[in-house]
Amino acid sequence: MNNPKIAIKHIIIALVTFIGLFILIKGFSFLAEDLFLDPKKYFGVELEATEINIFLINTFIIIVSVLISYIVYLLLSSNTRAELITSIRTKDLYVSLEQLRGIYEGAPVPYITLDKKGNILDPNKAALRFFGVVSEEIEGKNLFHYQSEEDLEKAEKLLQYYKSDIPINREEVKMITKSGKVKWSLLSVFKMEGPTKMDRAGLATIFDITEEKELDKAKTEFVSLASHQLQTPTATIKWFLGTLLSGDLGPLSPKQQDYLERIYKVNNNTIELVETLLNISRMEISSITTDIKSVQVPLIIESILFELGAQIESKQLNIIKEYNNNLENIKSDPRLLRIVVNNVLSNAVKYTPSGGTISITLKESFGDKSIIISDNGVGIPENDQNKIFSKLFRADNVRKLNEVQGTGLGLYLVKSIIETLGGSISFVSKENKGSAFTIKI
Amino acid sequence: MTDKNNKKILVVDDDENLRLVLTDKLSREGFKVLEASNGKEGLETALKDHPDIILLDVMMPIMNGLEMLKLLRQDEWGKGIKVIMLTVLENAEFVAEAVADGSFTYLIKTDLDTEDVVKKVEEMLNK
Repeated sequence: MNNPKIAIKHIIIALVTFIGLFILIKGFSFLAEDLFLDPKKYFGVELEATEINIFLINTFIIIVSVLISYIVYLLLSSNTRAELITSIRTKDLYVSLEQLRGIYEGAPVPYITLDKKGNILDPNKAALRFFGVVSEEIEGKNLFHYQSEEDLEKAEKLLQYYKSDIPINREEVKMITKSGKVKWSLLSVFKMEGPTKMDRAGLATIFDITEEKELDKAKTEFVSLASHQLQTPTATIKWFLGTLLSGDLGPLSPKQQDYLERIYKVNNNTIELVETLLNISRMEISSITTDIKSVQVPLIIESILFELGAQIESKQLNIIKEYNNNLENIKSDPRLLRIVVNNVLSNAVKYTPSGGTISITLKESFGDKSIIISDNGVGIPENDQNKIFSKLFRADNVRKLNEVQGTGLGLYLVKSIIETLGGSISFVSKENKGSAFTIKI
Repeated sequence: MTDKNNKKILVVDDDENLRLVLTDKLSREGFKVLEASNGKEGLETALKDHPDIILLDVMMPIMNGLEMLKLLRQDEWGKGIKVIMLTVLENAEFVAEAVADGSFTYLIKTDLDTEDVVKKVEEMLNK
């Protein structure tokens, strides 16, 4: 027992009960003795006051007395026991409340308790730091009005969500601080349930993601800069080499011709690699933001065929278009979908020998919209089929094709993009017979 | 066949090397070639000399190719002028527009040789 006052109380109760018990027993004993000495006085009958009878009655009286005393003891001490338990529980509760308070106050994440209308009741230190204010400046003001004016519509929507008990989970918002600085944040607001009606109705947490956003912007700018800075020189090299190789500026020796052709090929591989790497970094850096709008698939295919025109012509490939459904008004991201179709279609062009056939089928069945691109090209060896979507993988048979260079990144990119868009890609293929890729949008 | 000697081509590109290789090629093919190194210069030259076709880079300092094209289309003469955009970046909206519009197309620099550019120029001029 860790409380001396309560211990003393228990001892006193026990003593009092014992004394009471003693007096009770004695009282009953005197009465019993008197009863057996002169039974006629009480019952009007003669009773034989044997030693055994007196012993039995005395024993019975003692047992009853003990039981009664115990009940009295329990009744008398119940209050103090309750007091003891309450005291322990209260202390525990106080400790955990203090701990909770400490966690709330000292947490590095801004926490703000809100009333039912979204007004700020109790911001923690991180929240004050976030807004650059002292608590008096912010208490009582509506949290949702701290969003940037460009985002008024969203602020109003979130406030309505809050009032209608719809949870707000990691919504990207722009918060305004006292100094007018815009901070990108992830706002979450949870309802606080309580046994009684409480003023505190919600708990808001704010994650400051301004740094990530700025980093993201810097990276996107870098990618855009790099694309210009890397692609322009490779294009320049290609054009100068092309001019030299064409013989326009005079004849070349066979050795010169050979070397320039080699440089030309290496440069083309670099161009392809730069393009794919840029697309991949765009995907990975921009944390895959999609811009969904109405897309006309045939238009995308036409523009890709237009770009591949020179290769298709020089290899004399037959292009067959079977449009069972025109897919003219589908919802997708045109830029990303174009990268997907472009990769698959240019693979078909690359890996189909001269005079081969490439079919492009558009169809819709059971709500699935698909683009199927099939060819009668080199195909994918069975052993390699489960690896073709891995990063940097190239199948054995195409590695041996010296005239066709690849980065091993194209289908990896395709798969990650199409899955981001909520679609899928699959294929059937047989080596030396051809491949058919199905892109489900 | 187009009479190349009477055809004026304006090449607008901020990259001196690309401009050189293109103008060399086009001159050898017999075209009369004008040059500009940004959209602003390009617009001035175009409105003054009225070329038959414009080869236009997209990303340039001072005024980019898309801005120049927009301003060009506001001019009575510039409305119908044939333009081939030369780009290193594909932009879906601009691509769709280019495919739909007969007086406007685009080429991705890294996909081509100067031969292809000449072919495209001749094709556009004969339209």
